[in-house]
Amino acid sequence: MSLKRELLHSWIITIKEFRQLSRKKALLIPLILFPIVMIVFFGYGMGGTVNNAPLLIVNDDTGTASYSLVQQIGSQTSQYNGEPMFRVTYTKDMSQSEAKTKIDAGMYKAILLIPHDYSDLIENNETVTLTLLTDSSDTTTSGIIVSFMDQMAAGMGLIYMDVPAIYGNLEYLDFLTPAVIALTIFMGSVATTGSAIAGEKEDGTIVRILMTPVSRKSVILGKTIYQLILQLARAVILILAAYFLVGFHMNGSWLLVALVLTIFTLGGVGMGIIMSTRVDDMESFFQLNLLVILPSMFVTGVFFPLSSVPDWMRYLAYMLPLTYANNAMRTIMIKGQGLSAISGDLIILSLFAIITFSAGVYLFRREA
Amino acid sequence: MESIIEVRDLTKVFVSRGREIVAVDDVSFDVFRGEIFGMIGPNGAGKSTTFSMMTTLIKPSSGSIRVSGFDAEKEDHRIRQLIGIVPQKLSLYPDLTARENMELMGRLYDVPADVMEERIDYYLKLVGLDDHADRYAGGFSGGMKQRLSVICAVLHDPDILFWDEPTTGLDPQTRQSLWKLARRFNGEGKTLIFTTHYMEEADNLCDRVAVMNLGKLVALDAPSALKQKSGSSNLEDVFIHLTGKEVRD
Repeated sequence: MSLKRELLHSWIITIKEFRQLSRKKALLIPLILFPIVMIVFFGYGMGGTVNNAPLLIVNDDTGTASYSLVQQIGSQTSQYNGEPMFRVTYTKDMSQSEAKTKIDAGMYKAILLIPHDYSDLIENNETVTLTLLTDSSDTTTSGIIVSFMDQMAAGMGLIYMDVPAIYGNLEYLDFLTPAVIALTIFMGSVATTGSAIAGEKEDGTIVRILMTPVSRKSVILGKTIYQLILQLARAVILILAAYFLVGFHMNGSWLLVALVLTIFTLGGVGMGIIMSTRVDDMESFFQLNLLVILPSMFVTGVFFPLSSVPDWMRYLAYMLPLTYANNAMRTIMIKGQGLSAISGDLIILSLFAIITFSAGVYLFRREA
Repeated sequence: MESIIEVRDLTKVFVSRGREIVAVDDVSFDVFRGEIFGMIGPNGAGKSTTFSMMTTLIKPSSGSIRVSGFDAEKEDHRIRQLIGIVPQKLSLYPDLTARENMELMGRLYDVPADVMEERIDYYLKLVGLDDHADRYAGGFSGGMKQRLSVICAVLHDPDILFWDEPTTGLDPQTRQSLWKLARRFNGEGKTLIFTTHYMEEADNLCDRVAVMNLGKLVALDAPSALKQKSGSSNLEDVFIHLTGKEVRD
């Protein structure tokens, strides 16, 4: 066969491949969007800046030097988009322990304590120590703020920045682990529930089960119990691996972690059931799964803090349940906080679980 | 003859993209206890929909079905205990062994634990799968899967066995063996209801055959009577005579 003919046949196959691809809309969209999503989200998220991070300045000094310092901090803008780096609130007469409770509650990313004799010491060319408390459970934002404050202090001379490690010496891994567990549980519960049902639809086994005297409620309950056991076991393995292999610091209650993951798994199972009722086979399910999982993966602050992303991305994140699971997990596992600190997150996750689970059961029963 | 299934004025309407499709249109018939009852018809005739309604998988739009005196709409849980179903898709878990597939179905049908293993061994031997009991069903041939699927459906000793296209795609030896199996179950007193596209199968096996076309029941009688009425020597000619030559989608 001539080379020209070979190439012609190859071209026919190429055209055929593109034609098939153009008809698989569910595959085409993530295929094109994925690189854009990657560059936008990681570009913003890991761009080494923070925007509008809530900062409390406790200024016990009444002199002009401290006034000039807070002006400098307040006017600092992000090097990428010109947004203010901090959303500054001012107060005075607050102890370090009181300040820490504000960080624990998630009210501020950082609190700067300026001593009452700051201006006097500067005027006398003496060394002055500023205390900077940061929410080091968000290691990235905390690192950027500390770095900025250190640079500023170095530029002014004679200023020493004391940064107490309020949650221990945390690393990026500590920031990452709680959210990676939440993400893994979300992806796992959605994908294994949905693909199992889609697979059973494809090979007809679900129909056979539904033809037996077993009720649809029992079928769903059985699948849910399986998921809860499986996902909690996966979470335990992940936490133990992070603890023993890479030195993750677990500061909180295992029971609360289990509570958050149980509620979140129920939501994931509901989501998986809903998605499985929209498709007829495994392949279609996995395409749909990509569309659901990808935004959660990149927008909700698993890999980078939400304080470093633009507002539109943060608002999008607030619409996704994984954001609240990440927040609750970090609050428990890094900050060691209790039920009251995660109550808001738990309410939203519970609503997510109730809505998706009810809708999933309704659609499954209607379809089956 | 005692009726075990009574179908009255049965209609099923599906709505697809705002359009109503009448899949089953005012159908009435009885299935008698202990008979082998066949349902034949071209694609889209409504036999699978009727089959699904009789097995309580979907609800009728109107009309009624009573199985052993129980209403299919209100007492479906009672009916499911009394029937065994061999679906068209063989519906076996490929990553479970033959024995595990049977145990699963046995448990879902509340087969007592003390007789479970005995019954499983009996049926596996009956269909010649006793040497393959601990192999994954996913590795079985089409014929083996069909045999396993059938014995999964009778493990709880149902009164009625529904069998959707039992021999599609199978070789003549396997078809013969399944017919033999069907007769055996029928000889034990079970009522069998088939759907099939094979006229030879309906002719050989069934006591009576219902012919459906475009959602309606167009004939119901013994194969010999159907042939006699239309003056044909085989059931295929009767089928073409009743349902036309047009190819259906």
